[in-house]
Amino acid sequence: MNAPLLEVENLRVTYRVGRRRVEAVKGVSFSVARGRCLGVVGESGSGKSSLARAVLALEDGVAGRVRFAGQDVAALDRAGLLAFRRRAQMVFQDPLGSLNPRLKVGAALAEVLRVHKLADSRAAAAQQTARWLETVGLDPAYARRYPHELSGGQRQRVNLARALCVGAEFLIADEPVSALDVSVQAQILNLLKTLQETRGITWLLIGHDLAVMRHMADEVIVLKAGEVVERGPAADVLAHPSHPYARELLAAAPNVGRALARRAAGSRSLGLMEPPSAVQDRPPR
Amino acid sequence: MKPTDSSGRVKDGAEAVLTATGLGVGFFPEPDRRLEVVAGVELRLCAGRTTALVGESGCGKSVTAAALGGLLPRGMAQDQGEIRWADGAARGPGRGLAYVFQDPGECLDPVFTVGSQIRETLPPEDRGRVRERLEELLLTVGFTEPARVAESYPHQLSGGMQQRAMLAMALASRPRVLVADEPTTALDVTVQAKILRLLADLQRRENLAVLLITHNLGVVAELADDLHVMYAGRIVESGPVDLLRAPRHPYVQGLLKALPRLDGAGEKLEGIPGAVPPLGRRPDGCRFHPRCPLARAVCREREPELRAGGDGRAVACWACGEGGWA
Repeated sequence: MNAPLLEVENLRVTYRVGRRRVEAVKGVSFSVARGRCLGVVGESGSGKSSLARAVLALEDGVAGRVRFAGQDVAALDRAGLLAFRRRAQMVFQDPLGSLNPRLKVGAALAEVLRVHKLADSRAAAAQQTARWLETVGLDPAYARRYPHELSGGQRQRVNLARALCVGAEFLIADEPVSALDVSVQAQILNLLKTLQETRGITWLLIGHDLAVMRHMADEVIVLKAGEVVERGPAADVLAHPSHPYARELLAAAPNVGRALARRAAGSRSLGLMEPPSAVQDRPPR
Repeated sequence: MKPTDSSGRVKDGAEAVLTATGLGVGFFPEPDRRLEVVAGVELRLCAGRTTALVGESGCGKSVTAAALGGLLPRGMAQDQGEIRWADGAARGPGRGLAYVFQDPGECLDPVFTVGSQIRETLPPEDRGRVRERLEELLLTVGFTEPARVAESYPHQLSGGMQQRAMLAMALASRPRVLVADEPTTALDVTVQAKILRLLADLQRRENLAVLLITHNLGVVAELADDLHVMYAGRIVESGPVDLLRAPRHPYVQGLLKALPRLDGAGEKLEGIPGAVPPLGRRPDGCRFHPRCPLARAVCREREPELRAGGDGRAVACWACGEGGWA
């Protein structure tokens, strides 16, 4: 087993809402070994995005410890933090929203290279840009296109190229395929896996689609209201979850095979989880 | 033979409430230039049944649904085929047909209470008993404190509750056909499951004909009785929902293979190369041929019609004739 690339210990994220304090992440610990994929499963409000931002030191009000490659991220100086941000990057759900509409793909990548001082001339930047576009499965000619001229899958490839071109080894992907069509989603998932295998990228994959998690993740943690309620190898947790909430998630996910089998057996009722005990309909005061 | 006379064939003899034949929609960027959006769509919506329209974005599902209620956006027109109600009357939204959309937060008006918005969609015959009807509707969609919900503003409700409110609003007009366009796509899975259960329940109780539009094959398998798969503006395969066990069209086969599996089988997903072609750049011949593993010369030259098999299923594919290639 490799040494962990990322170690998170008792992480807490607190927001201030007016005079109240709201704890979004309540003491979460985990570690990810180099070249592995940790899946973070949870619904809206579970704290998964706060967790991601806290890991990348993008969040105030964080307590606990985040160690990356053995170094405490909170103790990094300016230069150290810049280097950390180069090695640890984020890929978002909405591939269009995370690209500047006024920059051509080539210019967007060149800008990142310039900020991190990785290309000393225009020509060098163009050359590197072309190489990274090829790495993510795009023709280098796409450097001359604007984001709106690309499909959703192509945009997500550009986002990956932008993260990789500065030398990222650790990527946090927040629902990277949930805005994509099924056929394109498969292409991007394959690319994520290839990057893990050929370039040794370490992933923190955030999402709610359990089949995607099962396909991508080595280990998973299930997050509910800021706390880890279940953790373990993806194959175990997603096949036989033991926490009631994890079981509920699994039962609620529509599944082609399961539904067809149930209907073939003559059932007219919907297989998706047991009837809710009581519908929650209390509008917050 | 008409291309799709079997597509809406109904097992239990349910009556068709609304039928569409040869439905075609054009987009007119200029008055004399027509781009085809949807062509040759055949639908039979029956009371008490859920018909699913499935496909990726840009395949024409939502446009088809909008055409049924005369809700096409500016620049588009239904200029082919026919939409007919069983009773022969001309109808539209609020008169027999109701819609529920993906994003309830966008559909509800933020400055009016939920109750006042539902009240607006009540038909004249219910205007005399507004309070009772409002309470009845909110109870029907699963709220336990209808009075309190009626007084709430949309932002005070969660996404799932907003979608329930939208359903109540849709039911207020006493529709016979409910079009649910990606009704749960924006919701968390546990909330989605509750809304899907509610939809199934409402359909049974109110004997609604439901047209379910979604890209999620899992949702289709759970909820639908019949299924039409669209690709680039046309229906490519139709039949009862268990056609998903062994689809015939290569596109439908590809969609299923592209789904990651919960049992973790398969290192690499097969997927489908390329992407759905945009309007105006749809290929000649079979629209799927550039992405199809089976494509031959005929597929590039001539467009296959949706042909009915004897088993209530229909498919538009040259490779799917009797005993292989047509």
